[in-house]
Amino acid sequence: MMLQFSVVWLALLATGAAHNGGNMLEAGKAIKVSIYLSDGATHHGVPVYSSILDFLFYRGVAGATVFKGVAGFGADHHMHSTNLVEISDRLPIKIEFIETKEKVDALLGKLEEMAGTGLIETQEITVAKPAQVSKPKALVLPAHLKILGKAKMMRIYVSEEDRWKDKPLHEALIAAMRANDIAGVTVYRGILGYGAHGRMHKDNPLHTSHQGSIMLSVIDTAEKLHAFLPIVDQMVEEGLVVFSDVDIIKYAYRALETEQAAPATEPGTDAGSVETLP
Amino acid sequence: MKEAFPARMLRVHFGEDDRWHGKPLHEAILMKCMELGIAEAIAFRGIEGYGTGSRIHHASRWPLSKDAPIQMSIIDTEEQIDKLIPFLDLMVEEGLVATSAVEVIRYARTPAKVANQS
Repeated sequence: MMLQFSVVWLALLATGAAHNGGNMLEAGKAIKVSIYLSDGATHHGVPVYSSILDFLFYRGVAGATVFKGVAGFGADHHMHSTNLVEISDRLPIKIEFIETKEKVDALLGKLEEMAGTGLIETQEITVAKPAQVSKPKALVLPAHLKILGKAKMMRIYVSEEDRWKDKPLHEALIAAMRANDIAGVTVYRGILGYGAHGRMHKDNPLHTSHQGSIMLSVIDTAEKLHAFLPIVDQMVEEGLVVFSDVDIIKYAYRALETEQAAPATEPGTDAGSVETLP
Repeated sequence: MKEAFPARMLRVHFGEDDRWHGKPLHEAILMKCMELGIAEAIAFRGIEGYGTGSRIHHASRWPLSKDAPIQMSIIDTEEQIDKLIPFLDLMVEEGLVATSAVEVIRYARTPAKVANQS
């Protein structure tokens, strides 16, 4: 009567060097460790099962599973069960993982401390068929990831009622930037302003008006932005484009995952790396 | 019509409840910019911020609340911006003014409508 709660497999990504090796178990003798906890237990403010799972993950354990029990009792002889009348937050939880004996011995001390009043059981088992790591997913680096240090900020000032082919101009500009791999854009609506056309835009507090001044702020390399300018020329009939120099201090992004074979990733373009300026 | 020229961008930061002769400060500054024939001026309302005097500007969910941070962005040639600065010295009692060098491209449908450029 155990409901499977969540499964975490350490299919480590090529760039996930923070974890000390996602080792795979081989067929043969190994140790299965089961830890019994009650759901309400916390460790440094987070549920114990979650901090144990994190601990196992970052210590490179081959795999671990958390099971949620529907009823049970432990050393305190209190019955923990789901009951619609008194909704229990102290259901039994079981964490299971399988590892080599050496590894288990190295982990047990800390696990005992984390499990608190819970019970830990080890069992000698034989791995009949080891799990296979699914093919690591290739991290596709978007074309705009070469930005380091010196870059340009382009601000485009247009009016909210400007249109491009039946679409608000600022939305069309964003779509065009996205299609051209421009690193990123943020759109701001002004509360008051006038521009190259000399018209005054005033925002109305109830936001029913669509006659505001709009500013798009774009950051990318000078070459990319200059290559994009002809498109701006075509789309913007009235408005102002302002370039200024900026230094990119940090560019953290989430890489897209695809099922393609992994191309050799270039050093220094790891996910989330912080680029400091020389 | 398209023209490109080097220019300066001036940004003024203050609070939405700041006033100049009974008028919201951003409206007053914008009027002054128009009077001086400055090419572009926009006021933005921020969500949250703090600045000189460590006053925290906080826009509430209620859209009529008046304590949000305001940032104005004013763009024109160096000479035009220099004309504006003495007025800002007078008008902005508590706030920050920053300028930076920029490259500008201006698009306009009809040259006649363009704000006069010195």
